[in-house]
Amino acid sequence: MKGRVFLLLIIIACFSCRNATVKTGEFVFPEADSVPVSEAEKLSPEAIADISKNITSPVEIANLLQTLEVPFSQNHLASSIDANKQSTNFDKALKLGILGADLGYLNMYEKTGSSLDVLSSIRKIAEDIKVGQFFDFESIKRLSQNRSNLDSLLFISIDSYTQIDNYLRANDRGQLSALMIIGVWIEGQYLATQVVSQFPDQRLRDRIGEQKIILNDLLLLVSPYCNRDSEFTELCRNLQEIKEKYRDIRISYTQGEPVSVEKNGGLTIQQTEKSVVEMSREQLDGIIEVTKNIRERLILNN
Amino acid sequence: MMKKSIFTICLLITIGFISFGQGKDPSVSNCVLNAGPDAKYLKDFRIQLGKASSQTELRYKANMSLWKNTKYRFTLCNTEGSKGQLILSIKDEANKLVLSSFDVKTGKTYPFVDFICNKSGIYQLNYDFINGQQGSGVGVVSMVK
Repeated sequence: MKGRVFLLLIIIACFSCRNATVKTGEFVFPEADSVPVSEAEKLSPEAIADISKNITSPVEIANLLQTLEVPFSQNHLASSIDANKQSTNFDKALKLGILGADLGYLNMYEKTGSSLDVLSSIRKIAEDIKVGQFFDFESIKRLSQNRSNLDSLLFISIDSYTQIDNYLRANDRGQLSALMIIGVWIEGQYLATQVVSQFPDQRLRDRIGEQKIILNDLLLLVSPYCNRDSEFTELCRNLQEIKEKYRDIRISYTQGEPVSVEKNGGLTIQQTEKSVVEMSREQLDGIIEVTKNIRERLILNN
Repeated sequence: MMKKSIFTICLLITIGFISFGQGKDPSVSNCVLNAGPDAKYLKDFRIQLGKASSQTELRYKANMSLWKNTKYRFTLCNTEGSKGQLILSIKDEANKLVLSSFDVKTGKTYPFVDFICNKSGIYQLNYDFINGQQGSGVGVVSMVK
């Protein structure tokens, strides 16, 4: 009898283990609600560079929208930003990021007419904070007008921003780099959340929910400056508000082995592991609302 | 006839310069072009490494977020004078190998790898030159349909 009970326990244990491997782990924020300033200050320049590279590119959001056949909308652009009315470096760097995201969206949809206005604003702001030399305005303008070379346009636009970011961090102006990156992210997030209200596609919902993965990195990036002045304090508070809306969203993972096949001289790998986002309608609505409120406050701050 | 040919060559050279990023690193521009007409540029990594004393793991490391429902193309380009072929491996946050452009069993290297991502997260990109050789090259990340 004891032997049978033992055998039964082993079988149960085996099945429990098997089930546990179906969903393997879950993404959670680090234990502390907010990242201590001292911890963030310890980040190496390499770690900061890594974080800045991890932020979702607005080009990827725009690409997803195109895949979903979502039409372009001028209404999603931060058209109210007046490059001549940005008084502080805080405003300028943040707007440089927001406009950069808009430029990515415009480029992907090949809206050359509108992109020239955005380009002019970017050039003005970039020159104001002494990084205009990295922004290849003429090449971007020319490639915008010549619709045949989207990849070159994306390369030069993104490369200009990468150079600005590298330069700012290398010259002890990391706070401006952080602002630019946050501006890019907020605008990309705004674009995604505005579109999902009209086109409630699961893939777009998932992309919004999965921003939880990089939200903590964004906070790490800005946290050394949270007590610098009232503008930074307010921005940090805004990001904490967004983080709070993400707190109960669950991201879990299922296991699987990649499948590879040779094709056209290269290799194609299909990942069979999956990330699964559990986010209710109410949670999504909360994210849409907080993103809209914060983004509108930021762009009205002329 | 001669003048016409010289004019045509000059024109082609000029167009070549104008059509792709004047003043940019040509090895990067060329690698972006190598990614193919259906690829949309996202990021590039410029790798320059000396000869490794011993190779246990790939030396150039960078993190990048990859998102599900996206097909990424990782293109690998060597610059002239490199002793070995540029290779790439990608690991997930659990340090599990997700892909490699180098087949250890056959010794075959691939100039590009397409990755159909189904798990969003931050991945570690590891670059090196085969057998820890000295070299310089470019890794371009693009999106493809």
